[in-house]
Amino acid sequence: MAADADRVRRDLEAIVGPRRVSLRAVDLDTYARDMWPRLLLARRDGASPQLPTAVVWPEHVREVAAIVRAARSLGVPIIPYGGGSGVCGGVVPRFGGITIDTKRMAALRAVRADEQVCDVEAGLSGERFERELARRGFTFGNFPSSIYCSTVGGWLATRAAGQLSTKYGKVEDRVAGLTMVTGTGAIIDTDGPRRALGGPDWTQLILGSEGTLGVITSARLRLAPAPQLRVFRGFEVSSVAAGLEALRRVVQRGLRPAVVRLYDELDTFVNSFGHHTVDPEGDARKHSHAPAPLPNQGALPELPGPPVVAGGDGALARLMGFARRRKRGARQDAFAALLDHPRLVNSVVGTVAEKIARKGCKLIIGLEGSRLRTEVEAALTFAELERAGCRDLGEEPGKTWYARRYAVSYKMSPVFRDGAFVDTMEVASSWTQLLDLYHSVRAAIGKHAVVMAHFSHLYPEGCSIYFTFAAHADDRAASERRYDAIWRDGLEAATRAGGTISHHHGVGMLKAPFMRGEHREAMTILHAVKRALDPDDIMNPGKLGLPGARWGGQ
Amino acid sequence: MSAELERELAGLVGAAHVRPVSGQPAWQVAPGTPAEVSDVVRTAGRYGAAVVPIGSGSRPARVRGLGDRLRLHVSTARLDQVAHLDEMSLLCDVQAGLTGLALEKMLAPRGLSLGDYPPGILGDTIGGLIGVRTPGKSSARHGFFEEAVAGVSAVLADGRAIHTRVAPRRSTGPDLARALCGSEGTLGFITGAVLRIHRRPEARLLAAFVLPSVDAAIAAAFLALREEAAPAALRIVDSAEARVHFPDARLADGHALMVAATAGPTDLAACDRDLIESAVLAEGGQAAAPALAELWWRRRFGHEPTPEPGPSFQCTAGPSQLRAAYHAIVGAVPGTRCHVSRFDGDGAVVFATFPDDAVDALKAAEAAATGAGGWLLGARPAALDPYLIALRAELDPQGIMNPGALIGP
Repeated sequence: MAADADRVRRDLEAIVGPRRVSLRAVDLDTYARDMWPRLLLARRDGASPQLPTAVVWPEHVREVAAIVRAARSLGVPIIPYGGGSGVCGGVVPRFGGITIDTKRMAALRAVRADEQVCDVEAGLSGERFERELARRGFTFGNFPSSIYCSTVGGWLATRAAGQLSTKYGKVEDRVAGLTMVTGTGAIIDTDGPRRALGGPDWTQLILGSEGTLGVITSARLRLAPAPQLRVFRGFEVSSVAAGLEALRRVVQRGLRPAVVRLYDELDTFVNSFGHHTVDPEGDARKHSHAPAPLPNQGALPELPGPPVVAGGDGALARLMGFARRRKRGARQDAFAALLDHPRLVNSVVGTVAEKIARKGCKLIIGLEGSRLRTEVEAALTFAELERAGCRDLGEEPGKTWYARRYAVSYKMSPVFRDGAFVDTMEVASSWTQLLDLYHSVRAAIGKHAVVMAHFSHLYPEGCSIYFTFAAHADDRAASERRYDAIWRDGLEAATRAGGTISHHHGVGMLKAPFMRGEHREAMTILHAVKRALDPDDIMNPGKLGLPGARWGGQ
Repeated sequence: MSAELERELAGLVGAAHVRPVSGQPAWQVAPGTPAEVSDVVRTAGRYGAAVVPIGSGSRPARVRGLGDRLRLHVSTARLDQVAHLDEMSLLCDVQAGLTGLALEKMLAPRGLSLGDYPPGILGDTIGGLIGVRTPGKSSARHGFFEEAVAGVSAVLADGRAIHTRVAPRRSTGPDLARALCGSEGTLGFITGAVLRIHRRPEARLLAAFVLPSVDAAIAAAFLALREEAAPAALRIVDSAEARVHFPDARLADGHALMVAATAGPTDLAACDRDLIESAVLAEGGQAAAPALAELWWRRRFGHEPTPEPGPSFQCTAGPSQLRAAYHAIVGAVPGTRCHVSRFDGDGAVVFATFPDDAVDALKAAEAAATGAGGWLLGARPAALDPYLIALRAELDPQGIMNPGALIGP
């Protein structure tokens, strides 16, 4: 079955010419992975990864279709690749094959102000997308912390979420239609008015498919007017439970703040160690070694600007800082020293935090949108929180968070260099199950790692929890064992508590073994959709809990 | 063989719940539990009989092109229970045979509601509302009905029951519940669903406006939506329709009446009403007697009769084509009266009532509306049919699940 590399090169060059195909070792190595921390552990150890056979850069959907048809007749897999910022191994070429980088299909083809939609190609980077929209007075509203290194296509393929999702929704809530090349090399278009169409909603069956059904090449996305007003406020609340109850009341009254972040005791404690200045400019300067541009050097525009999300936040930065200090032998930092004693840290720090800092949990709220409605919603939201016992801290905490909302995701490598690892686990459930989910997942991870959490991405029926954990082991094998144990115990606990195993990072290889527990018998439908759109099993095999049996996967 | 099948069905669901359909090789079967649905589907599979979902059975089954094939018209009339009501998370687990109205009656005393959906659609069963993607099940405040579906329970062609897991959102592959929404019983027989419900709004405000033209009224509606107003309902009535429905408005020819309901916390409902009013003023309109809106609202809930006949044609269009679609319909069939409603960011629906003496009005209106960029309701992109056929073949190799629906056999 292994197609010979020369033939793959010949066939691809016949489609895109010689300059947009590569079999060079450095390219194959680059495209062998994404930002899945487990791969970083292996890389640190010098392990050689499973490589793709070739990398190709199509510029048009017709080229993508031809490449897929070529792969089909060659009998090799196709792996779609966007920004490579995924954290679940979704782009790993488990069985070799052709990696299609979509980044040369990056046009924002049309912005239709009257319809409030845009047509955009999959390879456009998130940052350029939002900047382009901002210039025209719109926003798509998806601001993941990976926005500088992720693509629109990647967002669609994983059902991504951004820091403002409580207002704008997740990506899947804002898609009017998709164009995709299926596993047979056919081009399909799911666009059309939702109110008119009959039959199953193909758009919703393709979103989140992580390249296992086809290559998403472009999309029609719904836009919102760029916000005219943005309001931040920080609050303090006595406990996670009290904070969640207050937030539930807010969203169930129909209020939609854009940013909501409730930090648990440990997360609040770690955060409070920081030098929280109120100087966003200076703060950004501190992070100048990150690849993200400074606000005055073309970072995302201020007005429609992005606030946050999914990956990075101050807590992770702090935690990474501790992990690093630990390795440097700065044992005076008691917290860092305790990285090797996660259970102790996890059980003690909550109370320490209360005693030392005399604080409970920190809550950050931000609203944005049209002037009048945002003002009204902000007043109602803040009043509701105060009624629920939250103490108003003014606008500074929110502004501080906003100034560094992207800073963290770009700072992982020093931690890994120093022998530790960090990762994040994002689960979600209904409000009824949420505290149980929080306590059981926290306990499951806490056996192996120092763990903290914040609650963000609210819905009237529930909320997601974002756990950040850090751990250390002596060598790669031990690190991987610990890493795998964290995920196994954490995700099994999530499933038992009735939550989902992923709110917005996706499945990839990392969560594939847990898909059966997630969907149970309904996996039958996923298998059927897979066979209907990719009968030869060539699209990104071995991901999303689909076995890739043709390639020897299980 | 027929007698045998009937006996077997009676053994499964009780003789009282199986009866032959006169003049057809068919039986109407009313299983009492989801497990009995599984049994019935398995039995149908053994006999190669078609499983045709008929909702509560109040309307005759739509059966196309099945010839002499054995079939079971499976009713959900007995699956009418609320399995679980989670007031904390505003989730309601209901069986498919419960009607929207029956569910509303149960929720109301608890201060809860399905949402601002047009009351006219809620006479259908939940299974029907979910299983058939018909238009008009939306509001600017609460979105499309399918978006209220947090999970679906269904029986597949092999008799296995599936329950998609409920989570507020997830990133664990495609939304499998949405495969069943709109599948009209071809991918699975829907036995229940978990629905997102809402608290009853603290305030509901009604307002009426007069605008110089339908175009101005449509422009005002989208202007308000862009300012983030989220009305519970909004309707634009042209002068011809106003003469029949709202004679007291004394609307001049060519003018338009707009009625709107906003809801939510009092301040937010007032804010949305003010946003709509500002948009109306910007488009050259002005406030009208609130009694007009109150009349519309009473009719909406059937507290007062709506003038007959009701609309005989509907089409939808995006914000930029809506005006053209309206003018095309009115131009194609002289004497037509219209209202436009179901507004959200994606567009709205034009409802047309033709004059009694119009000839071939439907055809003319269809051609005019689609020519102007409108969409007829229930259209399906034919280019995707091969994948739907493949998906059906995977899930239902025998072709027993409502074989006449969506794409004929």
